[in-house]
Amino acid sequence: MNAIIALSLSGIASLFLGFSTNRKNLLITTLLFVLVALGLNLADWNHEYFWFNNMLKTDNLSINFSSVILLSTALVVAISRSFGDDEEHTHPAEYYAIMLFAAAGALMMVTYENMIMLFVGLEILSVSMYILTGSDKRNLRSNEAALKYFLMGAFATGILLFGVALVYGATGSFNIHGIGEVVSRTKKGMELFEGGVILYAGIILIFIGLLFKVSAAPFHFWTPDVYEGAPTIFTTFMSTVVKTAGVAAMYRLLSISFPAVYGLWGNPLVWITCLTLIVGNITAVYQQSFKRMLAYSSISHAGYLLITILAKTPNTNGSILFYSLAYSIATISAFAVLMIVSENKPKDGKPDESFEALNGLSVNNPFLAFVLTVSMLSLAGIPLTAGFFGKFFIFTDAFSNVSPLFKNILVVAILMSAVGVYYYFKPIIAVYMKKGEIAEIQLPLIYKITLIITTALTIILGIAPDLVKNMF
Amino acid sequence: MMPILSILIFLPLIFALVIAVLPQHYTTYFKWITLGVTGVELVLCSYLYFSFDKTALSYQFQEQLDWITLPLGALGVGSIDYLLGIDGISLPMVLLAGIVMFVGAISSFEIKDKQRGYFGLYLLLTGSVIGCFVALDMFLFYLFFEFMLLPMYFLIGIWGGPRKEYASIKFFIYTLVGSLFILLVMIGLYLSVIDPVETAVQMGLIMDKSQVTPELITQIQQLLAEGKILPEQLVHTFDLRFMADAANFVGDSWLHKAAEVAMGDFSIRAIAFLLLIAGFAIKLPAIPVHTWLPDAHVEAPTPVSVVLAGILLKIGGYGFLRIAYPIFPEQATHYASLIACIGAVSIVYGAYNALAMKDLKKMIAYSSVSHMGFVMLGVASITSQGVNGAVYQMFSHGILSAMLFLLVGVLYSRTHDRQIDSYQGLASKMPVYTGFVALTFFASLGLPAFSGFIGEFFTLAGAFNTPLLPKWITVLGAFGIVLGAGYFLWTLQRMFFGNFWSKYELSLLPDLNVREKIMLFPLAILAIAFGIFPQLLLDVTNETVSQFLTLFV
Amino acid sequence: MNFWYFLTALTLLSALMVVFAKNPIHSVLYLVFTFFCISGHYVLLNAQFLMAVNIIVYAGAIMVLFLFVIMMLDLRKNVPESKSNLTKLAGAVLGGTLLVVFIAATRHMNLGNGSGAIGAQTGMVESLGMILYKDYLLPFELVSVLFFVAMVGAVMLGKREAGERNF
Repeated sequence: MNAIIALSLSGIASLFLGFSTNRKNLLITTLLFVLVALGLNLADWNHEYFWFNNMLKTDNLSINFSSVILLSTALVVAISRSFGDDEEHTHPAEYYAIMLFAAAGALMMVTYENMIMLFVGLEILSVSMYILTGSDKRNLRSNEAALKYFLMGAFATGILLFGVALVYGATGSFNIHGIGEVVSRTKKGMELFEGGVILYAGIILIFIGLLFKVSAAPFHFWTPDVYEGAPTIFTTFMSTVVKTAGVAAMYRLLSISFPAVYGLWGNPLVWITCLTLIVGNITAVYQQSFKRMLAYSSISHAGYLLITILAKTPNTNGSILFYSLAYSIATISAFAVLMIVSENKPKDGKPDESFEALNGLSVNNPFLAFVLTVSMLSLAGIPLTAGFFGKFFIFTDAFSNVSPLFKNILVVAILMSAVGVYYYFKPIIAVYMKKGEIAEIQLPLIYKITLIITTALTIILGIAPDLVKNMF
Repeated sequence: MMPILSILIFLPLIFALVIAVLPQHYTTYFKWITLGVTGVELVLCSYLYFSFDKTALSYQFQEQLDWITLPLGALGVGSIDYLLGIDGISLPMVLLAGIVMFVGAISSFEIKDKQRGYFGLYLLLTGSVIGCFVALDMFLFYLFFEFMLLPMYFLIGIWGGPRKEYASIKFFIYTLVGSLFILLVMIGLYLSVIDPVETAVQMGLIMDKSQVTPELITQIQQLLAEGKILPEQLVHTFDLRFMADAANFVGDSWLHKAAEVAMGDFSIRAIAFLLLIAGFAIKLPAIPVHTWLPDAHVEAPTPVSVVLAGILLKIGGYGFLRIAYPIFPEQATHYASLIACIGAVSIVYGAYNALAMKDLKKMIAYSSVSHMGFVMLGVASITSQGVNGAVYQMFSHGILSAMLFLLVGVLYSRTHDRQIDSYQGLASKMPVYTGFVALTFFASLGLPAFSGFIGEFFTLAGAFNTPLLPKWITVLGAFGIVLGAGYFLWTLQRMFFGNFWSKYELSLLPDLNVREKIMLFPLAILAIAFGIFPQLLLDVTNETVSQFLTLFV
Repeated sequence: MNFWYFLTALTLLSALMVVFAKNPIHSVLYLVFTFFCISGHYVLLNAQFLMAVNIIVYAGAIMVLFLFVIMMLDLRKNVPESKSNLTKLAGAVLGGTLLVVFIAATRHMNLGNGSGAIGAQTGMVESLGMILYKDYLLPFELVSVLFFVAMVGAVMLGKREAGERNF
């Protein structure tokens, strides 16, 4: 809670800092703001608080998710130096302010106790992302992406809101625990309740709205275009912070309010999960652009996260958390390398984001090549990286659920992991095995530090996963 | 006591790191570092061989450390241990790894570009291969099993031939699919099996693991069978020693013997067993999942081929004996003829393909498929001769295939051409080389007094003597020996005998140099020694194998 | 009750006209009318304050802005349809299915006669204010962040930067 307040205030503060023209100070101050928020967030550890008439509830789970979100935000801010470093973007303060506000929205989505807070958080996050997506004003792709994202996102929010209204109509409560009680009482038949159908319709609508935000198939059509059109730095933000917040929000709602009607959302979710895994992985194979490939990969990782939400075991908390963290840090490394390399080597005046841009990177830039390799291996789930344990935990969860449906999911997930290896190795092949001319790229210190942190974290979590997993 | 197995694993890993951080002007020392490290490994492996207690039944040189402990909520606790140990089946493999990695290091002297990466990856590979053979925790085994793909992938993909990208990614994806199968079964086993010792600690029956007695373990297993242990107190484990004991399976778990979960006509245990077999058969490789092997071999540089054929394929066979068979003995008996059939078909199909190959290296790659078929056949027989023979065949093939690929490498390094048709009558110009080739070919085709003979003889004898297999399968396998003689002798005749003719000038074809002799000579000695004194290895494996067979009554 | 049916029918009709009207100006006018109808519903629900706010903010301010924008951009030209018939069909089928599901869902519903008594003061400014500033203080405050983001974004995207050509 304090972190949300801090982020909102620091967002305003960083707008004022825009008067100073020194970009470097701005970056460092923003970073500091995020770290302060992280500290405030961790200060509530081991205490359960309800805030402001049960609007928010902070517990260890929500603090963990908030930490993942804030850590991702900090890492993204740290690698944002080169964005808008030209005459066209003379006022970067706005970007930083909006990113801080977006992080505040994301925190609301993981700590909400009241549906209204979910909605407000989601809207703050979404509106920020619409703006940031379109922030490369002269780039037609960016404009198109922003408009597409805005239109579809507005519809999804509308559907979500309609669902919230219906659920309120059926249960008379916005409080997620309150809703949960009514739903389970209804389910047990202890109370004559005629509004059941309305409740079910509402649940499904909320469900659709959230699935859109985590870009699960078949609600994923916006993802590749938006991810590709947005400036890379904001794509990074989108694929880490927004994804984590969306999944956490969905998990919170489904596990607290609607566990009693598992059959209602569980059965469709099985098919949605399988479809997401298949669509994300198979389509990623055919991509020529590294950035677009990462967009599809983010769809497929949403699929893996949905598996553990579905499995509903006592370990789901830890698994989602671990997977989100592993996925976020690996994705940030990958996008950072993409950003550095593509901006270093423009093609037709625009950054070259195809796989060919990476050709021969290892010759003069072994560090970048190594960072990229580790992140790709982690995303592919190769042992001794965090991604492997993420997958391992998720498969374990799926196994401990004895429902026969899980056999299908496991088969699909296993096959798709193998497919994933194929496209995650494309950049590695380009980096090490293709011939290309890339001069040595001078990395600013802050980039180096960020990349070392993400890579080291990926490897450490791959050797000692219980560091994070046992937190919950 | 010295943690000798850990040293075997971590010495190469540490030096891989050293090579990675040494400054550029030390490049010339990298190969010497690698040679030194693999030399030390070889010495340590030989020490293991000589100090191994051949009569002891349990695992030796054991090391155990807690590694990862995961609370699983209502499912109890999960524990992953750093658990190492060797027995009569893994010792020959460790020794083989020591020998082949050392020879491979000598052969690697011909690598000239990107030496830092090459030797770093080579040492990484050494560490993970040995780790795979000494791990007793299935999770640890799996980690090494999958992690070794990475250095191998890069070694083929960066230093390979013209189609290296295709070959390396094909190798990687095939093996990865196999290891994903294994991962699935591994998770299933993990949720089904408990560690009685840790469970006793968790239940408060004893304070410390050292207080454990056999009676206590029996007591725990009794309680488990009666379902009297609370789920929260169960400690799930990846320990292969406990997985092999059916009494450690949780009553209502998926993979318990009495579990009635089924998919279609198959019980879940049958599916798990078949998945494991499929996973290891890809690595072995067996028909029909062998197609990555010729591609990988043709593109890989010589030392990498040596390591691939010499050791990596053996992990498939080792996985059968260490994991699939002990954990699912009743399935192993049930599917014996299926596995033997795949083995026999691999023998014959591999041999036929070898007969047709124009590329010498491809021919040898297919001969590997054929020879590894014997391993499957021997294992499937579940007899003392068969299993001993399978281990022997793996060891022997490790040495012989290493020699074969080294010999191809000799020719390739001179002319960059491996076509059989390009040469004729080499015997007159390269007599020492021809001598080695002839010796290796004869050893490979199973001539008595060479190690290949012992392995093939024992596996076939085992397969004939078992009631589990129909006789025609064994006859089919034996027919493979005839074909083997065919392609080896034919190649020998086409390339080495007759009048000298070659597409290349004679000056390009000098005889073996000193380094090549150093690599080949000890291997030739070993091939003959293990052919004349089979008890060198059989003594080591025999006790373990007879204990292994007690699982199948 | 009869008045409710009449008002609802009118709302739905005018909402449909928003979509079907060819002329954007007409669309906006229908939208204004829809807002008035919804305000009528608020009155029926005893929420007079919301009714006033709805009329002043939506029907009054926002719709006037819409009209200005439309007039400035001169959108009267008919944009040719770009969607294929297949897409239209798929959309119609999906939307129709959803409609059928909703009708089926609500058909058997009996929500009773409302829970508890509703005082005459329920929808007045005072009680609304009590709820907003006591129970829902936090979302009320945080919505300001949302508006602030939107404002910053509008300025940022709309501002002319140095070196930018405007058409």
